[in-house]
Amino acid sequence: MINIFSQLLMQANKSLGGLCLDPQNASPGPFVLGNGDFFIEIPVAYGCSYSDLTLTGANGTARPEASELIDKAIGTGVESRMCTAIKVACYYLEAGLVRKPDLIITSNSCCDAMDTLGNLINGYAPWARVPRFNMDAPHSYDEASYAYFGKQLRQAVTFMEDVFGRKMDWDRLREVCVLSNKQDQLLLEFQELKKAVPCPANPDFSRLGFAYDRWTGERVSPEITGWLEQLVSASEERVKAGLGIEGINEKVRFLWQDLAGSWPPGALWTRLQKELGAVCIMDYMSYGTLTPVDLSSEEAMFTSFGKRFLLEDPMNRQALHTTDLFCNDILQIVKDFKCDAVIMPAHIGHRDTNSRMKIVREMCREKNIPCLVLGMDIWDKRYMTPEVVFDRIKTFFETVNLLG
Amino acid sequence: MKSGLKSEVFEKFAAAAGGIMNPSVAAWKQQGGKVMGYTCSFVPEELLIAAGLMPFRIRGTGGSQSAGQADDYFEAANICSSVRHCFNKVLLGEYAFIDGAVIGGGCDANRHILDNWQKSPVATPFLDRIFFPHSSHELAARYFRDQLAGLKVRLEAHFGVQITDQKLRDAINLCNETRDLQKELYAFRKLNNPPISGAETVAVMVAATSMPKAGYNADLKQLLSELRRTTVPDKIYKVRLMIVGPGHDESSICDIVESLGGLVVTDLTCFGAKAMFGRVRESGDDPLQAIADYQVLDRPFCPKNLGAHPHIHDEVFSNIRDFKVDGVIGQNFLCCDTWGGEIYILSKELKAAGVPMLRIEREYISDSTGQSQTRVQAFIETISGGV
Ligand code: SF4
Ligand code: SF4
Repeated sequence: MINIFSQLLMQANKSLGGLCLDPQNASPGPFVLGNGDFFIEIPVAYGCSYSDLTLTGANGTARPEASELIDKAIGTGVESRMCTAIKVACYYLEAGLVRKPDLIITSNSCCDAMDTLGNLINGYAPWARVPRFNMDAPHSYDEASYAYFGKQLRQAVTFMEDVFGRKMDWDRLREVCVLSNKQDQLLLEFQELKKAVPCPANPDFSRLGFAYDRWTGERVSPEITGWLEQLVSASEERVKAGLGIEGINEKVRFLWQDLAGSWPPGALWTRLQKELGAVCIMDYMSYGTLTPVDLSSEEAMFTSFGKRFLLEDPMNRQALHTTDLFCNDILQIVKDFKCDAVIMPAHIGHRDTNSRMKIVREMCREKNIPCLVLGMDIWDKRYMTPEVVFDRIKTFFETVNLLG
Repeated sequence: MKSGLKSEVFEKFAAAAGGIMNPSVAAWKQQGGKVMGYTCSFVPEELLIAAGLMPFRIRGTGGSQSAGQADDYFEAANICSSVRHCFNKVLLGEYAFIDGAVIGGGCDANRHILDNWQKSPVATPFLDRIFFPHSSHELAARYFRDQLAGLKVRLEAHFGVQITDQKLRDAINLCNETRDLQKELYAFRKLNNPPISGAETVAVMVAATSMPKAGYNADLKQLLSELRRTTVPDKIYKVRLMIVGPGHDESSICDIVESLGGLVVTDLTCFGAKAMFGRVRESGDDPLQAIADYQVLDRPFCPKNLGAHPHIHDEVFSNIRDFKVDGVIGQNFLCCDTWGGEIYILSKELKAAGVPMLRIEREYISDSTGQSQTRVQAFIETISGGV
């Protein structure tokens, strides 16, 4: 009999498969294309699709033909050391493989490469007449910035209304926000359960849950609430019984302070769990600090959208802001989730992370937290192969006496 | 840089643009003046000048190929060497003369200079940042104005000065005068035989960011009057080229072009034509808003700005017409995503328009005997019909 976690995994993975190019092109309704995350409740409530070309590019690198695709992407001639996910997205665009959108919405979140993709979309000649709306995501997290970004989101709604000649249903938007508040609460509950030693379920369900909830075709639907409820209750039972991940003898808990990427979860983390009992408790796309959207007034709602976008969206939180915030999160996660070590993949496309290495290394040294810096490509396993990464991590754990 | 200009005032510019510390800064410091470093052309000099400070744009020029100590802070393989070299100079103490620095958040690597500086052993009394908006709309201009207002308060508190509206207006006038004079300088370059080369122009433009502004303006007026009186012997240049890209705080690419019989006649770069574009509004009751509007709405030429491309496109194509450009060199430093993307888009458009373009991806400290030289040579020969 398939256990509940396997079922949940299959369900999420099936849906996440829809993030590849062809299903994205087949999205129903008016087609809105962006270069990154958008406040997803808005298109959901408005009844239009939203396709994030960065995500589509990133998912391309998970496909069986990834190597050929990446080679073609390198051939487009954009900056040679740019993030591979963005190169693939550029290739899709330049090869004419992306459906022509009805509206383009771009912002600079959360990295230079995504910003560049935004400019490539905006500068793509065949779409010169497609209406477009550009937003500025500031590198600061204070009330003024939330209000500023919230106002831009409000303007984006008006812009959509003008382009599509149809008004936003505000009651529907509130309804969607109530649902997403509930889902966020469940994600946080699962996150809380991950603090148990041993961890009751594959911690990667946080990342999957976040992606399933916000990015897939079922975005913010009651179906996802059900999925999350099952995840939480099954995990609660295991915590009560003192059980860890099925079949895993947990020995090491580590923080992967970067995105999961397309290949590490399957080709690396699973092997680390099975062979070494090393569990990736947290990564930087899973760390939720979500507060509920404030529905008391339209202004409050958009300001809390701004906060959610700038500070609480995991990727924006880590990439847009200061090294202090980044480092404080590392310390908080290590403490709360009882991590034994920090692994810094230092994805080659991450200009922000690669500008912080000395500070992170020194902080970890000072706090006696074992830290390993890799310098890998999370989208292209040929750059530093899974075997090499595994060996380096294993040697590191052995060196700092974590494997017992 | 080799210069054929026989001018004392030009020598002053060349000295200011050559090393980091220079005689003009030394004289300013000797009189008790304070200097504020900054890292991006969107940090408004007007605000710093109104605080009585001399703005100095931080450069990493004049070093070896290695960025030495900075590579501990910024992973060398993945971070633009311009950022690394600039910060290395800070770590080496070459910026010990500055009294503070404002880091402009131009790109992901650049904005992290501040975090690293704060944690480094270099004790600079005032360190601050402003974030440049990545979109050009009125909300963004207002948000930028608020950031400037915050910086103004912090400058006033730290330096014990009051930055009045009148001081801001005076600084706006002074910087507009610089822009006007620089435009006159560029106008010479539209001639078939300009009295100033591309490499020499780089020195004049870089000096603007490395000298007290009032003195710079006086010297530039002097140079312009000398250039007006100069008789230039007729010379046929193999090609007239434009340079597009970041930085341009040293003349190596111009040197290569001009040593091969070509001439660089214009550019769209941070230290070059982007710096002198347009003027800040002198009227109105809010000078800070005028500065913000200029930076956010009137001058959106940074590819970090979404929607910058149409402006860059128009500016490049009008320069091609006005300066009789035969070809464009589009360069970006390795690991610079934003300029890499922009040069890519531009290359397609120039190709479609039949304008030859050479793309160069290189390190900040260029190896003038290396690959760039060979590629520029081939490019010039191709355009001029030699191959
Ligand atoms: S550099 Fe990082 S944040 Fe940017 S697109 Fe690539 S993986 Fe995503
Ligand atoms: S060249 Fe590019 S990466 Fe380097 S500092 Fe300038 S904008 Fe940033």
